[in-house]
Amino acid sequence: MENLFGIPMNSIMLVLLALLGVSLSVVGYVVLRNRVMFLIGLRNIPRRMAQTTLIVIGLMLSTLIISAAFTTGDTVQNSISSQILTTLGHVDEEVLLRSQNGGGGAANPNGSFSETLAEEFEAALVDDPNIDGVLPILFEVVPVINPGTGLSSPGANIVGVDPNKLAAFPDFVSTSGDAVQVADLAEDEVYVNESLADEAGIQPGDVIEVFVQNRPEKFTVVDVVEDRVTTGVFDFEQTEGLVTSLETVQRVLGREGEVNVIAISNSGGVRDGVELTDAVVASVKRVIAEEGLDLDVEPFKQDGVEDAEEAGSFMATFFLIFGLFSIAAGMLLILMIFVMLAAERKSELGMTRAIGTKRGQLVQIFLSEGMAYNLAAAAVGAALGILISFGMTQIMARIFSEFDLNIQPTITLRTIVISYSLGVVLTFITVTFSSWRVSKLNIVRAIRDIPEPPGGRMGWRSLAAALAAIALGVLLFVTGMANDSMFPFALGSSMILLGAAIVLRFFRLPDRPVFTTMGLFLLLLWGLTVGNRLDFLFGELEGGPEMFFLSGVAMVAASTFVLIYNADIILAVLSRIGARFGRILPAMKTAVAYPLANKFRTGMTMAMMSLIVFALVMMSAMNLNFNRFALNDEARGGWDVLVEENANNPLGGDLVAALEAQGSVDTSQFRSVGRLSLPGRFTFPEIRQHPEDDFDDYFVSGVSPGFVDGADIALEARATGFDSDQAVWQQIQDREDVALIDAFVLDAFGPNFGPSFSLDGIPEGADVFDSVTIEVRDPVSGNTREEVRIIGVISFASSSAFFGVYIPERTFADVFGEAGSSQYYVGLESPGDAVGVAEEIESALTTSGAQASSIKKNIDDEQAFFRNFFRLMQGFMGLGLFVGIAAVGVISFRSVVERRQQIGMLRAIGYTRGTVALSFILESTFVAALGVLSGVGLAIWLSYFLMTSDEFPTSDSAYAIPWFQIAIISAFAFFASLLMTIVPSRQAASVPIAEALRYE
Amino acid sequence: MTSAPLAKPHTKEREVQLTSQDEVIIQATDIVKTYDTGKVKVEALRGVSLTIERGEMVAIMGPSGCGKTTLLNCLSGLDVVDSGRVLVDGADVNRLSDNRKTEYRARHMGFVFQFYNLLPVLSAIENVELPLLVSGTSARRAREKALAALDTVHLRDWASHKPGELSGGQRQRVTIARALVNDPAIVWGDEPTGDLDSTNANEIMDLLCDLNEKHDQTFVLVTHALEVAERTGRIIKMQDGQITSDHRIIDREAGIWGPAVQTEAG
Repeated sequence: MENLFGIPMNSIMLVLLALLGVSLSVVGYVVLRNRVMFLIGLRNIPRRMAQTTLIVIGLMLSTLIISAAFTTGDTVQNSISSQILTTLGHVDEEVLLRSQNGGGGAANPNGSFSETLAEEFEAALVDDPNIDGVLPILFEVVPVINPGTGLSSPGANIVGVDPNKLAAFPDFVSTSGDAVQVADLAEDEVYVNESLADEAGIQPGDVIEVFVQNRPEKFTVVDVVEDRVTTGVFDFEQTEGLVTSLETVQRVLGREGEVNVIAISNSGGVRDGVELTDAVVASVKRVIAEEGLDLDVEPFKQDGVEDAEEAGSFMATFFLIFGLFSIAAGMLLILMIFVMLAAERKSELGMTRAIGTKRGQLVQIFLSEGMAYNLAAAAVGAALGILISFGMTQIMARIFSEFDLNIQPTITLRTIVISYSLGVVLTFITVTFSSWRVSKLNIVRAIRDIPEPPGGRMGWRSLAAALAAIALGVLLFVTGMANDSMFPFALGSSMILLGAAIVLRFFRLPDRPVFTTMGLFLLLLWGLTVGNRLDFLFGELEGGPEMFFLSGVAMVAASTFVLIYNADIILAVLSRIGARFGRILPAMKTAVAYPLANKFRTGMTMAMMSLIVFALVMMSAMNLNFNRFALNDEARGGWDVLVEENANNPLGGDLVAALEAQGSVDTSQFRSVGRLSLPGRFTFPEIRQHPEDDFDDYFVSGVSPGFVDGADIALEARATGFDSDQAVWQQIQDREDVALIDAFVLDAFGPNFGPSFSLDGIPEGADVFDSVTIEVRDPVSGNTREEVRIIGVISFASSSAFFGVYIPERTFADVFGEAGSSQYYVGLESPGDAVGVAEEIESALTTSGAQASSIKKNIDDEQAFFRNFFRLMQGFMGLGLFVGIAAVGVISFRSVVERRQQIGMLRAIGYTRGTVALSFILESTFVAALGVLSGVGLAIWLSYFLMTSDEFPTSDSAYAIPWFQIAIISAFAFFASLLMTIVPSRQAASVPIAEALRYE
Repeated sequence: MTSAPLAKPHTKEREVQLTSQDEVIIQATDIVKTYDTGKVKVEALRGVSLTIERGEMVAIMGPSGCGKTTLLNCLSGLDVVDSGRVLVDGADVNRLSDNRKTEYRARHMGFVFQFYNLLPVLSAIENVELPLLVSGTSARRAREKALAALDTVHLRDWASHKPGELSGGQRQRVTIARALVNDPAIVWGDEPTGDLDSTNANEIMDLLCDLNEKHDQTFVLVTHALEVAERTGRIIKMQDGQITSDHRIIDREAGIWGPAVQTEAG
């Protein structure tokens, strides 16, 4: 992983190391200049070992999450890049035929070019010291059958290589580890790769059949070789392949003297050769230009390695962003731990101050103690984070199993250094702030352990800070409005509200109305920023994915204010309920009264719990609703089975006829059959909306009349003048200059979703629009169709299955010529039979290499993929729950110590042990329940506003609440908190009365 | 008084026994209490015996560490003795289960401590009604009785205030209201005026003496202050875990005291 948020990891590491150095220097200063303070700090550590353990656990959680996110990124990157390097072997670049217009396609629809051209190219590079080999290749996708086992592969890459040019490509290795030579193969012999051998049950010596133009060609398998690009692995999804001499493949495909790719091997090995890529690409481009060759070069391996790095960075960033809630909660926990430590030692601190210790020295004492915990906790956190990430990547390996990705747990020193330093620095900042806060004590009150007087008048400094906050807030607000940017707008508005609340408090307005009003306004503000609900007031404001985190944190903070300052109402309600249960009432009274009396502590714990529950429930709600609108049954578009034709063995444009010729499939069970025409394998269709725009690559399909008749694809929006979806579809059948397009091109669709091409002129959420036109171009032939009118937008639900531009079949033929291949859609009389029918079709068309699948099963698989990934995310975010649970534990343990005398008194006046224990348990229940309820409520609010906004196509009535997951999350948070309270509550219950009454 | 009056305190029969007019309400015989701190053993009570009659107001005095608070804790069942026997209203408190003792305390005892020991998070009235709620009184009835108790200590208007908002004297009066709210047979006070100035201390003692007189409740007070002790009817002095003297008032106006019981020590 090389970058995080676009910043190089090495730079991040250096900055963090510098900050770590600063943190350690501060402690070093204390050691040298105030050794006594340092020793006092250190000697506090072994005073209560259980508490020390809890503190270390609390402090390590942030580091753990950071470390897990980074290590996951490293592991993903290393796994992908290792796989890429292994698969590509010595192939570093590939040279393809250049398209006529410089676009992405090839001049020849099948991408072939003459061997002579390849030889010219090779001759021009023969003296380049950075290149140690050039290999012309011809490959195609073909069906392969193993008559011996009856097993087959509908799509394997048959690869032909020139045996005389393999010296620089020692990538042909049998599964037993021996090098094999293509030159040794006779013209009816092949090596099959491991994937194909597994798929079709092939052993050395087997005779297999390869079908080209529906004609079988027999080959004897000489050996099974490892999966490499030169043995047919061209992507992670299609890994089956077989290799033989170039001449043989040219003969089989009927393309004598042709190749379709030239592989280049850079000097050096598999890994270090990549470093020469830029030089080789420059050299190749120069040669192509000088020789006037119609070729283009792609840095295949370098791109792959960069993609791996990007994937790693994406994963780390993704996990880090979603871990932010837990990290924020972890920092709150650290703050609370230190405030509570200070509360416990209040009398000592007062005495220390009384005998002449300065405030700064008090800070030094706490800082020394905190840093000792910190250095140990960060080490434990970083190590545990690594372990957790290994667990997560194993789960990811299962989720991504269809890509056959071999996950290799990876740790880098840099990641360890960054995680550790970041953990230490974050904790150092929090501990310094906490120490500063606790050093502000009144000496007399501290010595006598008297609580601070409530609602003391605020000082002028606070007023000045509040006014400064308001001024800064106004500035941010104006900046946000001017730049249509959500973040400065919302932050500025919040600062104005917060500042105003402090000013009002300065003028002695009571806390409750001031903070309740502020909290409610903040809740509304941040709650409405999501889904652009404030557009009607402030115009359209843009926000990125960070708004999700910021809204969550701000809403939780605001809700905590509202709840804490109005919790006495809850107390009254609970007391009334408790009154009905007789003897529970006294336990309930104290259980609720204590948390309400300590607003800071309760608020912090609630906020921690609320933050995590919020994040988890939000994730569940997003997952559920995303699946509901994007992966529901509507996505099938009325079809049941998809049959994908093999371009080398076409079905003649008539699936039913092809099946009836085979005779093994009963086509009477077909309700309807439709066909989509696709361009050739090397043709990447292009579209644009405005003449001044560049063309964008985009999928374009030709729609057959049968497809129009049989499809039931709902439309998101229709052009003016059409009164039904059917009328729109009918136009596709009747006219030539019209098209449908998927909904993902509407740029309003979610933050950072969708393709690069976006369509203007269709308003967000509109059902009807004035039709817009696009231009469609075939980059191979240069044929263009201008003024293709978009008359309908395919529904979001169907857009994932029916993605791209859909034009009438004859228009497609005009632009792209004969279809490269076709996709057939089958509607069944009994849709429930789709899986069986797909198997029957694939079996019947084995020799054609057509691949058939149940569309519903495909959608279900996709749904399962997303669901599993969401669950993994939730599991990761669930780590944060331990922060909340630890907070409840810390408070409970602390409360027993703090209230020892009061417990004695309660026991004296008649509280039984059970009542005391119950009171403690109810207290934790109360705090955990408030936190959980707040988190659940806010998540439902935010997800509802987000998913039903114009950015997402969920209607109000379609929005669903994930009750089951909410129940599980809430129950876990709730009962785990209770579990943490059991030990302290038992301690409280067994407090000896007489001793407790003497306790000070 | 050999019956077990605390064994079934919730039965009607038991209630009758508890409110019987037997003269002796507390009888301690040869009680010993040692604190073991791990490194040293401290003999807090060394064979103390005493008898307290119903309706008596007794002061236990002595220097710091003489064992007076320990004695009060052992007599009231807050602490357990190592040996000896403590009969309260005829029941051996050391033989009762923790729950039985607790229940008895909630119904029939009241406590007043030096540092008030009110719950800071509850209002005055909520503090006062707690003993009633734990003994199963309905919330409404508890509130009525708590208000009445606060009335008795002249704090009805301060019912909704939290302890932090009250003066020391007011807090102690809330504690007294809490101690009296369940009409206890015995009220235990550990330095009830120890944290108060003389004016407030006098007011509190006036209140306690008045209640003792009017309601015939037994008061056992631990105190350092002779002026407080002299307001009671009996002064027991302790030293080194033993009772050294035990005197009852004979003529309050003349300030004449006479021996109450001949103890082994005295």
